[in-house]
Amino acid sequence: MKRLFLTLVFASFTAVSALHAVTDGEVAARRTALDVAGAFNNDGFKLRDGFWAGQFAPGKPKILQVNLYAGNAYYFTVGATPTAKKVLVTVYDETGKPVSGEPYQDTSVAAAGFSPDNSGIFFVKVEVVDGAAADYCLIYSYK
Amino acid sequence: MIWKLRPLAGSLAFACLCASAAAEATPLTPEEMAGAARTDGLSIPMPDEFLASLNKLGKIYWSSKMRLPIGTSYTSRPQMALNLGGLIADGYIAIEAQDQQQVKNIGRDVLTLAGALGVSKEVKERAGSITSFAENGQWDQLMEELEATQNEVKQTMAEAKDQDLVALVTVGGWLRGIEVVSGQIAAHYTETGGKLMRQPGIVDFLNQRLDKLPDKIKDDASVKIVRKKMADIQRLIAFPIDKAPTVDEVKELNKLAADTLKDITKKQK
Repeated sequence: MKRLFLTLVFASFTAVSALHAVTDGEVAARRTALDVAGAFNNDGFKLRDGFWAGQFAPGKPKILQVNLYAGNAYYFTVGATPTAKKVLVTVYDETGKPVSGEPYQDTSVAAAGFSPDNSGIFFVKVEVVDGAAADYCLIYSYK
Repeated sequence: MIWKLRPLAGSLAFACLCASAAAEATPLTPEEMAGAARTDGLSIPMPDEFLASLNKLGKIYWSSKMRLPIGTSYTSRPQMALNLGGLIADGYIAIEAQDQQQVKNIGRDVLTLAGALGVSKEVKERAGSITSFAENGQWDQLMEELEATQNEVKQTMAEAKDQDLVALVTVGGWLRGIEVVSGQIAAHYTETGGKLMRQPGIVDFLNQRLDKLPDKIKDDASVKIVRKKMADIQRLIAFPIDKAPTVDEVKELNKLAADTLKDITKKQK
């Protein structure tokens, strides 16, 4: 099961990556994120076959708009290259207000769990809170 | 082994390190929200994600949600792309219904349409896995493989400078999801169910993608139909957060989606 999971995620990474010129750093960042997201997988979460990657730096967060459904539970996981010593992922509702959830943070990887009460637009912010500029990769799981 | 040693509960033991993170976070500014990135890869939910939310409302008889097979011999590439998206969504429904034969039939039709669009090589490699997972009843793996197939189709199209068709595959799949979910909610209406239809960000994003299509593609009869109907769908799906649509509005949405899908499966003259 684990081997199949890894095969699929890496195959899909290769597949989707051509939509965006992926760097070695982003590949490493994704690997870091997948390591934690795999734990959510054990808890019944399904990893979405897609990602959002790039570079971020202290004081220059990146924000992604997503669309979530009430009734589902989500985990957003960001992995970064080691130059980012501490990263953070925060989820906001459509008015820009941060939503409470289940956060996890461990050096260059962080996650935020969240179950929306309403379907609609949400924003996910990833940022470096300690360290230097780094590559990042955001993935999400749901159930 | 490492996998097993990192269960969710253990990971979340670190939660206290930043338990108040959300409470301390500063709200986003209007400029930050307006400038947020939107990507086909993460901003648009996969059909499975949408269908999964429906399962929370009660027992769904997924077999009843399958439709009769659609044609696969179109002459217009935009029309092929729209229907390919719908077919892939059909695949998710067949998996939810755990119908081995339907999964295989849909897989074959996906392969036919993908071949007509010039992306059969990539799909063919995955089709074998899809058939194998279906025969062995490995539904979770099948769902993952179908999602990977969908992304691979889009990626291959993008590489072949067919990025515009990628948008149409997404729209076709999303419309089929809307048809199924709105049909279920209309038949078993609750306010909670009705609120599931709220997807202002998605329809806005998809309409922007459709508006940016080259004129040649916009002139295609199937794309014209979709663009016209998507404007009506936007009106029904972008309702306020504190308001549930009425059962009649959900029925209207269902009819719009169903009619659009029927229209785009008709062969063009």
